[in-house]
Amino acid sequence: MNGIDHTQWSEDLAAYMLGALSADEAEEFERHLDGCERCQGEVRWFEPAVHTLPETVERQQPPPRLRAALMAEVRADARPQRGSEKRRSWSWFSRPAIAFAVLFLAVAVAAGYEIGKGGSDGGGPSRSVVSTSEHGIQVKMVREGDGGTLHLANLHQLPPDKVLEAWVRREGNVEAVPALLVPDRKGEAETTIADMSGVDTVMVTEEPQGGSEEPTSPAIVTMSVPQ
Amino acid sequence: MAVRREKAERLADEELMPLVGRKDPEAFEVLYDRHGGAAYSLAYRIVGNPAAAEEVTQEAFISVWRSGARFDATRGSVRSWLLSVVRNRAIDFLRSKAGKAPKLDFDDESALEQRPASERTEEEALRRETAGEVRGAIGNLPGEQAKVIELAYFGGFSHSEIAQMLQLPMGTVKGRMRLGLEKIRGELAEGLA
Repeated sequence: MNGIDHTQWSEDLAAYMLGALSADEAEEFERHLDGCERCQGEVRWFEPAVHTLPETVERQQPPPRLRAALMAEVRADARPQRGSEKRRSWSWFSRPAIAFAVLFLAVAVAAGYEIGKGGSDGGGPSRSVVSTSEHGIQVKMVREGDGGTLHLANLHQLPPDKVLEAWVRREGNVEAVPALLVPDRKGEAETTIADMSGVDTVMVTEEPQGGSEEPTSPAIVTMSVPQ
Repeated sequence: MAVRREKAERLADEELMPLVGRKDPEAFEVLYDRHGGAAYSLAYRIVGNPAAAEEVTQEAFISVWRSGARFDATRGSVRSWLLSVVRNRAIDFLRSKAGKAPKLDFDDESALEQRPASERTEEEALRRETAGEVRGAIGNLPGEQAKVIELAYFGGFSHSEIAQMLQLPMGTVKGRMRLGLEKIRGELAEGLA
């Protein structure tokens, strides 16, 4: 590489570091960079300057729902798939506060239960159950094949450090539904339950960010699921 | 097994990354809490509206979650790497918006779409340029150097696009970029001295 050629590379270096070369130009520059210690040294020298640029922007506060949505997705992705998941053996009614809430709300929800017309239509490929919780939350459980989707509406906005988590009771054991529920601006949220076999009850609780391994607060929704 | 949140909080970013690579949500959560604000601010600075900034930030962090193992500690800090991921996502977002097919009806917006690309680019550049206040290291640069760095780094424009919109030779644009970075780097070095 002669001196004249290298002047060209030196001119391109800052543009490269600012992402201002075309894809072809950047590729060509990187080929040169691989074998040029001088440019490698300059890149290392300039790196702190480029890294400073994003720190100069005016600070904005990200909305809490961004964190909630992100952690819901991450938690769902991190959780082992059903089948390999360790079932928790504690009883649904093992905690007094939860037991009380479940019993109370089960009665409240049952009063608004609709099955058949406007509710369950067991003859088709999908069946749905709708109800309204004591808190005024509209609940719709749509069964499709082996799975189902839980839709919630009329939810209040959650504090930034809280999310909603759904749970299913299957053969007496409570399992967390992997995807957490994050209400949108309209106060609606939904989550998918991949396997509904043997599930007799669906419950929703308010949990700390990222969800919990087991319910830590009284249920705001409890719905019996017809088999 | 996931490390508990309290333990994760005591770890340096570089120690968190292997845990993120092993799909540890607590490690990831700590990473977001440390850098989510800067990431969102950068995304907002580039895309110019909160909804798009939210989308870009979420996409960037999810890509970090899924590819945490790609972080190379020899190339810089976790924060710099993460912000470069956000920057790239935000620029991709801008380019995808700019590249969308023009509408077929003839309202004001479609008239805008029908203008020459260079004219649209200039208008877009102006919008992006005025979207945020130039501060800190860039704020101390001579205006012409700050402008080309802003347009490249925050606007996602190539040196040839910048040369076209500022009606300057490409060599001048690249030269100003270099002088600007040299000045910022020099000030950082002085600050460390």
